[in-house]
Amino acid sequence: MLTTRRRALATAAVALAGSLLLASCGSSDSGSPDGKTLKLWHYEAPDSAMGVAWNEAIKEFEAKHPGVKVKFEEKGFEQIQKTAPMVLNSNDAPDIMEYNKGNATAGLLSKQGLLTDLTAEATKRGWDKKLSAGVRTTSQYDTNGVMGSGKWYGVPNYAEYTMVFYNKDLFKRYGIAEPTTLDQLTAAMDTFVSKGITPLANAGAEYVAQQYLYQLALSQADRSWVDKYELYKGKTDFHDAAWTYAATTFADWVKKGYISKKSTSLKAEDAGVSFIQGKSPILFSGSWWYGRFQTENTFDWGTFLWPGSNLTLGSGGNLWVVPKGAKNKDLAYDFIDITMSQKIQNLLGNKGGVPVGADTAAITDPKAKTLIADFNTLSGKDGLAFYPDWPVAGFYDVLVSETQKLITGSEKPDAYLSALQTAYDKGAPKT
Amino acid sequence: MTVTVERGGRVVRRHHRHHGRTTRPRRPHSSYALFLLPGVLAFLVVIVVPFLMNTGVSFTDWQGVGSPTWSGLANYRELTHDSEFWASFRHSLFMVVAMAAVPTVLGLVLAAALFDFVGKHFGTKIAAVLRACFYLPQVLPIAVAGIVWSWILAPDNGSLNALLKAVGLGSLQRDWLGDPDFALYSVMGVMVWVQIGFPLVVFMAGLQRVDPQLYEAAELDGAGWWRRFWHITLPQIRPEIYVVLLWCTIAALKVFGAVYVLTKGGPGGATDVPSYFSFTTFFEKTQVGYGAAISTVLTVIILVLALIGLKLQTRAEDAEEGLRA
Repeated sequence: MLTTRRRALATAAVALAGSLLLASCGSSDSGSPDGKTLKLWHYEAPDSAMGVAWNEAIKEFEAKHPGVKVKFEEKGFEQIQKTAPMVLNSNDAPDIMEYNKGNATAGLLSKQGLLTDLTAEATKRGWDKKLSAGVRTTSQYDTNGVMGSGKWYGVPNYAEYTMVFYNKDLFKRYGIAEPTTLDQLTAAMDTFVSKGITPLANAGAEYVAQQYLYQLALSQADRSWVDKYELYKGKTDFHDAAWTYAATTFADWVKKGYISKKSTSLKAEDAGVSFIQGKSPILFSGSWWYGRFQTENTFDWGTFLWPGSNLTLGSGGNLWVVPKGAKNKDLAYDFIDITMSQKIQNLLGNKGGVPVGADTAAITDPKAKTLIADFNTLSGKDGLAFYPDWPVAGFYDVLVSETQKLITGSEKPDAYLSALQTAYDKGAPKT
Repeated sequence: MTVTVERGGRVVRRHHRHHGRTTRPRRPHSSYALFLLPGVLAFLVVIVVPFLMNTGVSFTDWQGVGSPTWSGLANYRELTHDSEFWASFRHSLFMVVAMAAVPTVLGLVLAAALFDFVGKHFGTKIAAVLRACFYLPQVLPIAVAGIVWSWILAPDNGSLNALLKAVGLGSLQRDWLGDPDFALYSVMGVMVWVQIGFPLVVFMAGLQRVDPQLYEAAELDGAGWWRRFWHITLPQIRPEIYVVLLWCTIAALKVFGAVYVLTKGGPGGATDVPSYFSFTTFFEKTQVGYGAAISTVLTVIILVLALIGLKLQTRAEDAEEGLRA
């Protein structure tokens, strides 16, 4: 029989254990809708074009909504990408959140009913008119979570696309003119190789290598090819002419020394830094580097679209999404509206971003003008072909891993393409 | 004095020296169980319940959101012929060599050298400083250590390649983390560096409880350093060796951070390990059910190894005590 002391001890132990159980099983309540707080998460660096623009948008929002406080939490891209489904399923979901676009990300969340349908707001507030067809593709998802049609689940306020960044000083030093055709680009790379310089900055451990490959394929492709691959509108054959050209040309470029065999373990940052340090004269990558190059490059540099290709990698930028469980949805819509305003869009453009609704006359920086003009050219010819890792969840890792083998020469182009086919067929929806 | 206690059905004689006082081993009083209750419940909540939930999820086809679909043993069947999964386990065995076998052997030799030679000839302070230096990688966050090592091993301007070139061994320069033939060995090298301090510290602590008279007697009998190490040091610190081997083997089987920072499983899957494979399956491919199956298998393997290790250790201790009695 328990004594009084032991009984008290037992009660205390059970109470402690019970509280532990409750603490682990329960979820914290973020509070009921109050109309006084906008809980916002995004993962743009504060000094990036988007970071600067969104900070300004927050100020503007607070000025227009007296008494409403924006509770901003800076998150990491990985942090949001890896935990979004769990967070959105809980009571801790923010009112508005930046999220990655594509079938395996925003598409998956929309399919699971975790995102708010923004179709009515997009029409009412005119967002649908501001976004071009290519940019809008990533906003809409069908019932299977496939982008390109269906309801609006996200709104991008900027766009992104890939281009060739080149070091004008180095080109001048070796008497090379800006290439306008692929032959000229190849000749330029031959010249650099003959001078002992590896022309292309590459990173095999991250997205850079697969972007070269996909661009090579895109140069031989058209819109229906992209639609088959990205939107499953038909069968994708990795042994077709475009993919075969891409894999064999890439392998050939490694052999010729355009791409370093030692770039397998390098990260995207290494490739960017190699360009910034003037070690690599050419980097093919996305507009997200633009602002940084403007700040850090100590040499004259320029950009051009991949020669001889109507298509290039690119899309609308990351999306603003409104979680299904958001408490203050109207405030979230107001915030999106502000980021779409011309003032914020102009600021974004002048800071090295690609705005979707800027007044071109208000963009004063000459390099920013080129960036936006090139985007308009691309957008005008329906040239945004998205990214190679989008069609299948986990395909990014497959592309990294297989392309590394192509760089080291441990896999031949044919086997490389077969490996991609297997992974793609396994993950893509059965049509 | 000598008392007799029962353990596992066998009778073991055990010496108790309590300054002349005779004591009886007390059976744990049942009321003490109350003190264990919070710990047991916390263990249930933090370890057992999530493990059972994870096991449950492993029998489903689930993307992490929405409703899981029951798929029975399908994930486990798929695992049996998933070459990536088995390759990751093969790499784990390499990691056991790098994180358990090599550090234990090196740790033993270094601990004996620091204790026996450096401590005696240069003073215990120098030995303590050296011990701290060896232990330093254990204190560094693996992310920091990984980034530093990725600089050292970088193909073009990494300091290892620069050093090789400077000493006229330029032909040995490699893309250490990018060459599939070398990447796993490079990661193993880094892990030896990370791991070595732990056995060293444990073994040095163990050496301090070895009766110095044993060494003195052996020395008088003409035993050299190696014989003393083999016949005295090793048997005396056997319990520490068991602990270190077990601990490090478990650490090797669940290694993640170093692979994540250094290679992300590449190039071409050459350094993939089960925990990283499980992570990418969970979060990149959003195949939560399959990822759960991988981590369940990994947990079971670790659990079995831990239990075998503990059993062996207990048996060895019992045998030792039996001999002493």
